Amino acid sequence: MVRLKDRYLLVNIIYTDLPPAQSKTAGSNKPPVSDLLLYNQPTANELRPQTLLKDIRSEIASLFGDCGSGAIDRSLQVKYFSPATSTFILRVSRSHYRLVWAALSFMQTLPAKNGRPCIFRVVRVSGTMRKVEQEAIRRARLLVLAAKDELKGMSSSDALGALLRSDSQQQRTLAIVGGQGDDSASEDGLVED
Amino acid sequence: MMKRKDPPGGAKESQGRQPNPRNNKRVKVQDARNIRTQPSDAALEDGKLDLNKFLNAREFEIKALEKSMTKCKAINATRVFQMVPRAMRRRTASHNVKRVPKRLRAQARKEMLDDNTPTVESRKRKPRTTRARIRAETMKKLRYLADKKKKKKAEKSGDGTAEDAQTKAKGVVTTRAPRPKIRRNMLNEPPKADSKFRKRQINKTWLPTHLWHAKRATMTKPNSPLWRFAIPLTSTAKCYRPTHRASGQKGVVAWDVSYMSTIGVYGTDDCIERVLRSLGLVQEGLWNARGKKWRTGVRKWTGTVSRQQKSSRRDMGPTTIVWNPEPPATNSDEMETSNRSKKSQRQILIRTHPSCFLELFDEVVKLAKRQKPQPHVEDLRFEIGSIELLGPGSTETLLGILEPYHETPETAECHASVFRSLAGVTNPASLPKDAVLAFSAKDPRLAYPPKRIQIPNGGEQTLLKTLTEWQVEENLKPYNIFDRESRYQASRMPSQKSVNRRKGANAPGEPIKVTAADPPIPVLLLASRPATDGQAQGTWTLLAPWKCIQALWYCLMHYPLTTGGNPRLGGLEEQRQIAFEHGTPWFPGDFPATNAGVNWELEQRAKRRRDWDRRPKSKRLEWKSLDLGAGRKGEIGDGLACDFEHLLGLPKSDVPRTQEKSGAVSIPDPAAEAMVLDPPEPAESGGTQGPSQSPLSRVETISLVTKTAFNALAKSASAEQPPAGSIVTVSLAFVTRGVAKPCARIYRLPSKPKTTVVPSTQTEVPATPEAPSSALGSLPADLREQWLAKVPLASSNANKINKRGPAAAPRMPAGVDMETRKKILTQSLLTTELAYPKSAANQADFGGHPLCPNEEDLIGFVTTGAFSLSEGKATAIGSISAERAVETLRETGVREGKFCIVRNAGESVGWLARWELV
Repeated sequence: MVRLKDRYLLVNIIYTDLPPAQSKTAGSNKPPVSDLLLYNQPTANELRPQTLLKDIRSEIASLFGDCGSGAIDRSLQVKYFSPATSTFILRVSRSHYRLVWAALSFMQTLPAKNGRPCIFRVVRVSGTMRKVEQEAIRRARLLVLAAKDELKGMSSSDALGALLRSDSQQQRTLAIVGGQGDDSASEDGLVED
Repeated sequence: MMKRKDPPGGAKESQGRQPNPRNNKRVKVQDARNIRTQPSDAALEDGKLDLNKFLNAREFEIKALEKSMTKCKAINATRVFQMVPRAMRRRTASHNVKRVPKRLRAQARKEMLDDNTPTVESRKRKPRTTRARIRAETMKKLRYLADKKKKKKAEKSGDGTAEDAQTKAKGVVTTRAPRPKIRRNMLNEPPKADSKFRKRQINKTWLPTHLWHAKRATMTKPNSPLWRFAIPLTSTAKCYRPTHRASGQKGVVAWDVSYMSTIGVYGTDDCIERVLRSLGLVQEGLWNARGKKWRTGVRKWTGTVSRQQKSSRRDMGPTTIVWNPEPPATNSDEMETSNRSKKSQRQILIRTHPSCFLELFDEVVKLAKRQKPQPHVEDLRFEIGSIELLGPGSTETLLGILEPYHETPETAECHASVFRSLAGVTNPASLPKDAVLAFSAKDPRLAYPPKRIQIPNGGEQTLLKTLTEWQVEENLKPYNIFDRESRYQASRMPSQKSVNRRKGANAPGEPIKVTAADPPIPVLLLASRPATDGQAQGTWTLLAPWKCIQALWYCLMHYPLTTGGNPRLGGLEEQRQIAFEHGTPWFPGDFPATNAGVNWELEQRAKRRRDWDRRPKSKRLEWKSLDLGAGRKGEIGDGLACDFEHLLGLPKSDVPRTQEKSGAVSIPDPAAEAMVLDPPEPAESGGTQGPSQSPLSRVETISLVTKTAFNALAKSASAEQPPAGSIVTVSLAFVTRGVAKPCARIYRLPSKPKTTVVPSTQTEVPATPEAPSSALGSLPADLREQWLAKVPLASSNANKINKRGPAAAPRMPAGVDMETRKKILTQSLLTTELAYPKSAANQADFGGHPLCPNEEDLIGFVTTGAFSLSEGKATAIGSISAERAVETLRETGVREGKFCIVRNAGESVGWLARWELV
């Protein structure tokens, strides 16, 4: 039997500017927005999964031509798209997921009307939906922890740290401090110490 | 009716007449895979970023993803019958709810309904064939008759009380049930089968556990029983690796080996001794003080017995012999103990394989009739059954099912207490060699289901004490299993029905009390070690009355092992596998020097021939066109046989006749004789008449040389030869690669070329003496070296040859200038290989693999061969000609003499192996 092999990409949309509603009033005496919030903004509701797909397709067509767009044409699908958290999961056939990844790397603005500049960051590639979901949960958890820290007033002003908070380095320290995170991560931390 | 695989949302569906369960499912799946999301406003406080909203959005996401994961897992497409553990899976579980465990049945039924699985209830199926229709009609008629009979009976019992009283008044004499007859010096009939099953046992006998095995194992074909028994061949479950594990690492394998035959001999001490001596038990160790334990009955003897045949002795087969202890001497007798030892009546049990039973029985009867006073011989085949257990949990299992019958201190048997103290033994080979234990056990059904045994505290110490002291000789009484009366009493066990009734009356979980109705079961336990010394597991053999085996077996199979699981069942294949993994020959397959082995071989030949004949001509091996290299064509001898006749130069009849004979005559021959009361003349007399030789008598001249005799021969410097046509059994281990199959040919290494005679072709090219001088049709002169170069632990000599061998083109050395490069290139171009002399014959055909030697170097055949899980590489058991083996050993010494080349029948490439005597 033929088995269709897919890859699932977990992608975050990262913003660097303030949302339009806030930027209008930016001149006032409001305190600056923390990096954590700044980078992990929600995405505008105008962006539908269909428009996202369309844009990726057109990007691939411009980068890889007909061959590339044909290769991913059938298999590309949005499995999950959450505007509130700016996270989405794409499904691509296993042999061509790099094309999609490359296209995402080249996309610089949100594919919507007067789209804002943004970065599409692929944070996880996996063979199963389950593992991608697990990763999304893990990242969300870490962000929640960081947000709670911030609420208490212990803000980390390090901009890069906020962006990479959920990456491995940060994750280890968090796992040791909070005693959370998955087993392998905490083990890693212990070994390092 | 709807088709099972209707496309979802098909034409029917769109009309919406009937909700398609499959479509429902699809909707469900889609629903489960959908992950809930929030719009972006949820993360914004009226258009502005906010930490609390940010938090809520993330938490919502986590929940949504987790929920999706659980939902997806819940709806995935597994059915309940897939959740059942492998051992409990049944073939038709997908469409028959009765094939899944009860607790899953409701769910299975629902799933089948959902899935529109076509289910069939066999009871309601219409008979299709004529035969089935007739059978159904007969069933109907019988049911009607039975109903009528029942009604009549009910009427009669209603008004028939007066009649009953009348008969009672008359005084009906009740007699004891007749005991089965055991004839002296004659074969006995198998037990009369239940009338329901009698027709199926006309040509064979069922084992006591036949009904159990027939459901769980592949049995011998109904029309071709093995040794007149229906024997389980192998479990229907996959079991090759589990058996290997259970036998060595964890678990138990159990066999119902009730087909093993038992012979009882009764007579005075010295008469029995003379009979045994003439059966080949001539080692003095058995008859002097060293064999005292055996003769008192606390040890067994296992070995090969033989019979006198014209001028030589011929092996019959491996047997086990156990003596019955003498009754304890009373005080008045003590004076005449010395007298007693000669005159006292003794009994022995001879346990042997059914394939050599008849031969042995005839021989024993013949020998017994020559003695004075004449001992008598009983055929106890269907009187005593047996179970064999192998594996680390075997002792534990036996302890779990066998409880001593006599528990009070004054009646307790010392063997029983020794047995009970064996808790914790993981290998019966750690017991004293050839230990025997005999006692009376309780009916195991009384304590059914068997419970896991508890190892007592400080068990190590007591166990060590038991094993070192092994006090079994105190207060030794004759074993009950030798006593016909107690065997008979034991076989009158209460029925399962009555046991169930008593159990119902009892409190749950409590064992049933032993009453007078429960007879003690006399059991005899034999612990044997594997033939090859080492860490391998030993075997327990449990001998009990034939009728008790079933009850014992049912309990045994349900014993919960401490390592988990239950004992596994084994069949004949598993027995062969275990023997093979231990590196021991299996009787009768690996004993071509016995009649039983010859019969087995002939049977196998016929079977292989049948299989070969059945294949289409284009798909089967054409033996004549097999290319062995160097111009040799055709397989040596018969490719479908371990052709010892060919090897030893025995007279050969034409092939079809052999087939016919082996197919029609020799297979049922021993088996048929085994049951007939007065067997036809033994084959020996036929053998002397020359031309009309049966295949059996032709091969009967093959004799076996024992290990010790062979070693002595190989060491002696004299030119003494082993008897003509003698073989010796060896185990083979491959040096590098290769797997031998049965019938594989074994060659010795080709002898060194004679240097005195120089062939003319070589004189012309004296400059290259080591180059293989091979005109087509002759083997290379250095074939022996080529083979020896294959030995991986190469001596310096072999290494050199390897390097000098046909090498690839010289590599260009790194970092040389252009001039040198050019020079090397021109050199390599100029020195092309010349077309003459031709390269070795194996270069073209076999990719440089050495050729097989010629037929004069053939020394034997492989009888069993496969990949051995215990060794981690291929091994084999075979037989080689003793004459040629001795010759080779004397010529080339032990190191090189034990190398051989094994080539599978029908293949042209051989592999290097080493043989060792077993």
